[in-house]
Parts: sequence; structure tokens; C-alpha cells
Amino acid sequence: MEVTLSSMVVQGLHGLVYGMLLFLVASGLTLVFGMMDVLNIAHAAFYMLGAYIGSTILVVTGSFWLALVLAPVAVGLLGALVERFFLRKVHVHGHAFELLITFGVFFVVGEVVKWIWGNFPRPVDPPRVLSGSIHWMGITYPVYRFFILGVSMVVLMVLAYVFLRTRVGIAIRAAVSDASMVSALGINVPKLFLGVFSGGTALAGLAGVVAGPFLGTYPGMGLDMMVDTFVVVVVGGFGSLLGAFVASLMIGELQSFGVLFIPRLALVFQFLLMAVVLITRPTGLFGEKV
Amino acid sequence: MSRFTLLRTVLLGVGAALLIVAPSVLSVVKTRMLTEIAYFALFAVSYNFLFGWAGLLSFGHAAYFGLGAYVTAISLKHMPGLHLLVGMGLGALAGAVGGAIIGFFCVRRKGSYFALLTLAFNQFLWAIAWKWREVTGGDDGIGRFVPRRPVDLGLFYLDLTRIPNKYYFTMAVVVIFLAMGWYLLQTPFGNTIQAVKVNEERAAFLGYNVNRSKLLIFTLAAFYAGIAGSLFALFQDFVATSAIGLGMSTEVLFMAFLGGTGSYFGPILGAAIFVYFTDWVSSITEHWEFFLGVLFIVLVLYFHRGFIGLIPSKVRGVFAAGK
Amino acid sequence: MPQGNSTGGQIVAILEVRDLHKDFGGLKVLFGIDLSVEEGERHAIIGPNGAGKSTLFNLITGKYTPTRGRVLFDGRNITGLPPHRIVRLGLARSFQITNIFRIMSVFQNVRNAVLSRMGIRYRIFPRLSKLASVDEEVDFILSQIGLLEKRDIPAGELAHGQQRALEIGLTLALDPKVILLDEPTAGMSSSETRDTVELIERVTEGRTLVIVEHDMDVVFRIANRVTVIYYGKVLASGRPEEIRNDQRVKDAYLGEERT
Repeated sequence: MEVTLSSMVVQGLHGLVYGMLLFLVASGLTLVFGMMDVLNIAHAAFYMLGAYIGSTILVVTGSFWLALVLAPVAVGLLGALVERFFLRKVHVHGHAFELLITFGVFFVVGEVVKWIWGNFPRPVDPPRVLSGSIHWMGITYPVYRFFILGVSMVVLMVLAYVFLRTRVGIAIRAAVSDASMVSALGINVPKLFLGVFSGGTALAGLAGVVAGPFLGTYPGMGLDMMVDTFVVVVVGGFGSLLGAFVASLMIGELQSFGVLFIPRLALVFQFLLMAVVLITRPTGLFGEKV
Repeated sequence: MSRFTLLRTVLLGVGAALLIVAPSVLSVVKTRMLTEIAYFALFAVSYNFLFGWAGLLSFGHAAYFGLGAYVTAISLKHMPGLHLLVGMGLGALAGAVGGAIIGFFCVRRKGSYFALLTLAFNQFLWAIAWKWREVTGGDDGIGRFVPRRPVDLGLFYLDLTRIPNKYYFTMAVVVIFLAMGWYLLQTPFGNTIQAVKVNEERAAFLGYNVNRSKLLIFTLAAFYAGIAGSLFALFQDFVATSAIGLGMSTEVLFMAFLGGTGSYFGPILGAAIFVYFTDWVSSITEHWEFFLGVLFIVLVLYFHRGFIGLIPSKVRGVFAAGK
Repeated sequence: MPQGNSTGGQIVAILEVRDLHKDFGGLKVLFGIDLSVEEGERHAIIGPNGAGKSTLFNLITGKYTPTRGRVLFDGRNITGLPPHRIVRLGLARSFQITNIFRIMSVFQNVRNAVLSRMGIRYRIFPRLSKLASVDEEVDFILSQIGLLEKRDIPAGELAHGQQRALEIGLTLALDPKVILLDEPTAGMSSSETRDTVELIERVTEGRTLVIVEHDMDVVFRIANRVTVIYYGKVLASGRPEEIRNDQRVKDAYLGEERT
């Protein structure tokens, strides 16, 4: 591909879109870790579930918009179930077992998806309204990707509002900083945690539905997203939404341009980045804890 | 000799006798399975060096297994006339060196950070194996590197084209290294590792260099994994990216927990259960991995001591390590 | 090379802290502490809660690195060294909140310390069970701290007072030149306190002792030198009677804390 301004802008947009999607998924992951020191390995599985459940709702009802609304709700409920009946039960055995159970859940969800929907990619078309491309200043860019950007922006603004202006948001931020202290103040931390966990998975599910037509709905999507979100959370700092945002965009652009210029090494690059960050500055860009 | 020691010796003797006659009484298929169980047992025990002994939860242990497998395969294939044991030794060494380098960075961090680092390095090595087609064969892998002619082992010749010989060779190597590991657990070094696991801070304030002891056990675990990997390569006569990927890391983790990470023998039992279970369930349904995952979750939730935890402690006590 | 012990009348401190500051990302805890402990001394550090006493211990023993200042042990600059190196030089500490190997037996606890002291940390010959000299030494220490009959009991199952004794025993087993005890009688009844004081006096003979304490009776019984730390600064330092009668100290501390 030749290096022209328009092609660079297109690549930049690719990175932006993917970065925003990453943020949608990684935000829940980083908050959960910040609050309860639990790295939810299964988090990306909910992203995958959102995509697949969304695709089924689409097939059954014919409405992409219904899928967009219902799938995240379904995924959020599943997330709540996982927290309540798996994670909480294992909490007494320590962090290692929390990691193990989420790992097990990730694995099983992957198998369930393959069982129900088959071990092959599932094409999902964007709704007619959002298909096609926009031509502007010499650049041609798919409408659907702008839609993804739009959805992400809306979510971002809602998150920002919740965290900066509402009592719940402040409670969550406090809990990320010091959960035991928040508990001592009379706030029901388990309920708060359940809410954040479930909300985070719902968000991941939404990202899945939205990503389906863009990145594809396929059995390996959970694993691919898992690795990327881990890199985001590490680089951005566990517990920091701002860090997750900045890191998501960074990773998005890195992948976009990396694949363009050094395709052979692109895959290798992000593992190295994660390792480098973990080694040199484990708190990441904005994180607090080590 | 105390009653326990006598009982233990008798049991080990019976076990050894059974293992020796196995290829003569069992079918070729079952003998193959036993051989698989053997090197996976070594792999799973090496995993437990990290988790059971040192409290380090790794999600990337296949890196060293894979290094052992690939280096053995590559050296045997591309260096004609290389002695079998040298090829294996190189594989084991590759595992150890990989473990020392990667371990150096990983052991400095705890918990989730450690786990993620092991995962990142594992994925990194897997990506290299996948992309570096000229050396590793990429997706297609490397095959046909096991010597076709009998290998001179000094006291006798080893013909690796016959299954019973593969079985005996693998068993012998595995039993020797498992015995050494068992011994190691009862040495001051073994005690240091466990003390650091029980209370890392206090150990440091008692004069123990915590990072160094973690690095040592990490390297040892990687070395053992490398040996297991090279045995795997010799058995399969084929190595591809599946040997070094997340799937293999997941499998060894399952094996160790299935059997039970609280005892030395747990992972051995776990390897046996894993190989047998996957063989049995995969013949019934193609969704055997789903059931494996469910079994794993059930274990973590309700039987976190693994299958070996189901054995009454009096019986287990026969094999407990000395004080 | 300058030694930290007295030679012909020249007394040099075995443990010295010079202008020590500690800042925890904006929260300043120590504002320039100077401390000097002579060999063989029994030095008590007292002060209200939050004054920085435990932080001082943590800085001396390597858990934290000072923001500014130096720590000198036996003539050597040990500032910033990791804990295990400092321990090996002969400076050992106990913890205010019992920090033992709870799931290991009492015997194994002390053995961990003895093995380290002997430098047998990575040996693979012989097996543990064949090291008779180690076992003997462990049993000896257990008898000194009065836990010999409890040797096979998991440490976590001991009573509070016994756990504190084990805590001291672990420190003692390292055969240090200087022992730092962090509130050894915390949470004890008066009879337990009496026993612990007796234990401390017994096992610290011939060594230098630095002890953080709240219980004034213990302080005046054990210590021959007292330093008062008040909100990150040294308020006064001297013999117990001097401190007892120091007006500044009385105003700032003893009036609040008299037990």
C-alpha cells in the first residue's frame, strides 16, 4: 500500500475504531481488577458471547437494533451469575483460585460457543442503514465504522458522567482506591462489585455485538480480544479508566500501523510491549497499585 | 524399618513391576497411552514445582515444553548423525535457558502480574514458532526426525521404531527425573522454596533471597518441562505450534489441578486422569473439551485439592514427604 | 576499616541513623531522625502511635528505602540494601503483627531461620532429615523460648503469647549482633508481659537490643537508654530516668500514654 495522506488517515481511523472497541471491553476489566484485585480472564468471553447472542437475535428477529439492546442485557445477566455463583465462592481460597475459575469459565464459554454455533466464522451483516461508505476529502470510509465510533463516544460520555457526577460513580472510584475503607463507610461493597462486574461484562457484550460486522464473529475472537485487553489494562494501569482509554487508542493505532508496515512482527510486538511494561513500570501509565 | 516405609517400599515395588510388564500384557494402543501419560506426568510435576511448591501460577508453561520439543526435533532433523541423547539434552537445555531468561523477568512480580507475564512470553514464543517457517515449519511443523536405526546407548542399542522400546525409554527417563524431584523436595533447597511460598516477607527477613530462589525453581521447572517436551517430540515424531501454544499451557494446568497441586504425586495422577479422560470422552462426543472445562470448574469450586484429595489422608500419608 | 565496637575507650555506635527522612508520595512520616546505638546497649524507642517508630524499623531493616539520610550498621552503609542482605550482616528484626509461617510447625519455623543462618539455603545434599546439627540447634532455641513441647504443632494454632515468643525466637535463631523488637508485648496480659520481658532479657544477653514499646513498665525495666520519637522527629534521647523527668516528654507523650 502506498503511503499517501489519505491512506494514512484511513489507517489512523482504523486504529481509532479498534481502539475505541478495545476501550469498551477493557474498561470493565480494569475496574474489576482495581476494585477487587481480580483479573477476570473470562471477561473477553463475554465480548464473544455478546457477538454470538447478538447474531442469533438478529437472525431470529431480523432487527440489528434489538440485538444491540438485548444482547448486552443478556450478557450482563450472565456476568452477574458468574460473579455471584463462581467468583464469590472461590474468593476464600485466594487470588490464585480466582484466576483459575475465571480461566475455567473462559475456556468453557469458548467451548459452549463452538458447540451451539459451530466451529467456524459466522457472517453478520450490518443493517442496511449503516452499510456503504462515506466519501469525504478523497477518503472513502465505511459508514458502519463511524457508527462504532459513535456508539463508543456515547458510552464514553455516559461513563464519564457516571464516574464524575454520580454518587455511585464516586463510590466505585473510592472502592478502586481502597475497598475496605469504602466498606467501613457503610457502602455495600459486594453489591457494588456485582454491579461493576455485571456492568462491565454487559459493556463487553455490547462491544461484541457492535464488533461483529466489523471484526467478524468467529470462535477465536475471545482469545484475540483477551490478549489485547490484557495489554491495554497492563499498559494503562490496573484500575484506571483514563489509562485504559489512552492505552486502548495506543494499542489500536500500534496494531493498525504495525500490521501495515511490519506485518510479520506485528503479532509479536504487542506481547513484547506488555512484557516491557510489566517489567519496567508494572503500575502502567495511570495505575496506582502494584 | 517403620511400617510406613515398608508399606511404601512394597507399593513402589509392585508399581515398578506393573510398569515393567505393561507392554507385554497391554495392547499397543494402551502402551502408547501409558507413554503419553509418562511424559505428561513429568510435565505436570514440573508445573507443580511452580504452583504447588513455590505458589507461582503460570499460564505459559508450555513455552519450555515447546522449546524442548522444537529444539530436539530441529537438532535431530538438521544435524545428521547427532546422537539422540545429545539432541534431547539440547532440548532440555533450551527449556532451562528459556526458563532462566523469562523467569528472571517474571519472578519479580506477583500474582496476576506474574501470570500475565508468563502468558505474554508464552505467546511471544508461540508467535515466533508460527512465523519462523524456515526453522520451525510454522503451521506445518517438523516431522520425521526420530532416528530410524538403533541408537547406541553404551550398554545396549535402542530401536525407537518399536512402541515398547519408546515406552521403556520414556518411562526410564521420567521415573529417574521424578525420583530426583521427590528427593529435591526434602532438601534444604526444597524447604527454602516452600518457606518462601508460605511467607515471602518473613523469609526475606530471615535472610532468604526471595527472587533468586524463585528464579532457581522457575529454571528447574522449565528444565523438567524441556525434558518432557523432548520426550514428547520423540514419541510423536512430529512437533508443531500446538506444542508451544496456549492450548498446551492450558492442558498442563488442567492436569496439575485435576490431580491435586498439594502433593507431589497429584500431578502424576492428574496426567493419567487427563489422558484417559480425554481419550474416553472424545470417543463419545466431539465436545469433550467442554466436559473437560466443566470438570475443571467443578474441581476448582468443590474439590480444589484435586482427585488426590479424595483419597483419605491416612492412605496419602504413606507417601508424605519426610519432615 | 572502622569497626563499630569499642576499642580501648573509643566507643563507636554499632547502629547509627543519620538525618533519616521518609516520604510516602506526599505523606511525610520522618523529618530527619538521628539515632545512635552502642554495642551491648538496650535502647528503647517510644512515642505515640503514628509517630513513625515502625517506619523507622522498616527503613533500618531494608523494607523501605529512605527519601534522604543514611543507615550505618557496624561501620557499613546499609542504606537501601534489600532485607535479606541486611539480615545476613547481623541485623534482625521481629514484627509488631506476628509474621510467622503459620501452616508450618513450630519446629519448621525455627528451622527455616537456622538453615538461613547457617547459609544452607540452596543445598541439595543431604536431605533435611539427615542434618542432625540443625535439628539440635533448633531444639535448643525452642527450649530457650519455652516452646519445645509445642514443636510439632502448626504455628498458627499457638496461643497469642506463644506466637509472640516464636516471633522472637525466629529473630534470635539468626544469631544477630543487633536485635530489633517491634512491640513484642503488644496485646499481652500482664503475666504474659512479665514472661516475655524475662524471655527478652534472657535471650538478648551479649547482644545489642533496640525495642519499640508502648508499655512504660517494660521500657524502664529493660532499657538503659531511651529515645522519644514524636511525629517524625526525635524529641529527646537519654537514660530512662532523664527521659522520665524530661518536661518536654512529659508534656508531649507520657501524659497521654501512661499505662
